[in-house]
Amino acid sequence: MSSKSDSKVSPGDFFGLLEKSGDRWHAKIDPSQSQSGFNVTHGTTVLAFHFKDGVIVAGDRRATAGNNIMYEECDKVIPIDDYTLMAIAGVPATAFEMARVLTHNFEYYRRSQMQTMSVEGKIRALSKLLKENVGMAVQGLGVVSPIFATYDVKFKKAAIHFYDMLGADFKISTHTATGSGSPTIRGILEHEDIWGEKPLVERSEKDAVTLAIRLLYTAAQFDSATGKARPEDDIFPTVALVTEAGYRFLSDQELAGLCKTSLKRGH
Amino acid sequence: MFEEPYRWMEAVSTRHNYVQEKLKMGQPVLSVPFDSGVLIMGFAPQQGKIFEIYDRIALGGVGHPADVERLRMTLLDMAHLEGFNRSAQDVTLARLLQFGIAPALKQNFEEIQRAPYIISLLLVELDSEGHPNFFRVNYDGHWEAFKNGTVVAGNEKVVKEVQKKIQDTPFATYTLEKALEETCRLWDESRKHYEEDDESIPKTLKEAFDQWYLEAAVLSGKVERRAIYRAVTKEEIDKLKSSVG
Repeated sequence: MSSKSDSKVSPGDFFGLLEKSGDRWHAKIDPSQSQSGFNVTHGTTVLAFHFKDGVIVAGDRRATAGNNIMYEECDKVIPIDDYTLMAIAGVPATAFEMARVLTHNFEYYRRSQMQTMSVEGKIRALSKLLKENVGMAVQGLGVVSPIFATYDVKFKKAAIHFYDMLGADFKISTHTATGSGSPTIRGILEHEDIWGEKPLVERSEKDAVTLAIRLLYTAAQFDSATGKARPEDDIFPTVALVTEAGYRFLSDQELAGLCKTSLKRGH
Repeated sequence: MFEEPYRWMEAVSTRHNYVQEKLKMGQPVLSVPFDSGVLIMGFAPQQGKIFEIYDRIALGGVGHPADVERLRMTLLDMAHLEGFNRSAQDVTLARLLQFGIAPALKQNFEEIQRAPYIISLLLVELDSEGHPNFFRVNYDGHWEAFKNGTVVAGNEKVVKEVQKKIQDTPFATYTLEKALEETCRLWDESRKHYEEDDESIPKTLKEAFDQWYLEAAVLSGKVERRAIYRAVTKEEIDKLKSSVG
């Protein structure tokens, strides 16, 4: 039977449990492998911004390897727990694994400690993973640039955090975007927030979704690594909302209608 | 002292008596199916009888709280490592029991130099096809599977009687509300087997609601989330209290 007497492992610590069972990945820096002046490549566009009821998180569906389009149905917005989503840009293998570790980490904590992990704790958990991944990142093998969106049930507040590859987190009070298509849309988001009809945080769900669809369409116009919606093949961008009720992904059916109307002028 | 077989058997038998005596006052935890999932419930003077183990698995326990806690953590560790290394679909109650805690409990019980676990556990799962699976595990690692619900309690007579009633009641056709009412009635009936002059046990269901905690949770197939466990809400308990209390 397992014992919890190991003083180095704090109660409810899934990382500790993984380490004890020998399952943890170790991404130490190998000096012989490190590159100087490497470029971070993200073939993707994911974005998040605050709206009236919470946070909207959206992403395109394309996965690329260099100039090759590998996959058009990639889910880059991943549910972590009932109130948390992670949008990923960067190396999918590392990003998906991080999401998997976080999911288990939060659920293990909630079940074992019989309380939900604080939002601050959740934010740090992702920082910790990114920090431990620095070795892989500087070797050019596992750079991940995530957006973390969550709803704090205790304080009734939505939060967006953006991270650098070393694990520093930045609280975002309006909007953020990452990936190769993000430079195109960051300016639009800022413009919309300052000079649009309403600040982003005051927009309704419908307006927020419309804007997210338009932004992803625009990113795809200028960035070949960002995929466009392909209604004829039932491929739509991923759009999810995090509110007091938890996360909700828009269904393909909803997106089919919204893509149609959103891309018309004046709607 | 234990090199002679009969001494070892005697020691094991003494341990059975010791654990059973310690468990004697353990209040029943019942688990039954209802029309859209599984209900698990029990009254106790303090909370800590019913727990979530994994996405589709819940635990109810009778016995020493520290022992229930150790086994709960063991189950949690096993389930989460399996779910992480393979898939949530590979985390099944039968595997956790058969290859996890049952052999370990048996070994622990028969190693007579070690303190035995003072527990009786009820484990329940709503599998991915929506079928409920009920298991009962004893302090010595012996476990049994049930199709239509089961009960654990410190008193053997209570277990036998409530088990028979569960068997005879069409719980799977009941709504959650009705299943809660009926399990409360079964719990109420079980009280007659406990010592009448024991002041610590509530004399009526109303007293149980007022003085003790009703812990109840469901594994509901109606939920879209991966984790289907939820505690029965205060509103649902208040409604139950007004109908049966």
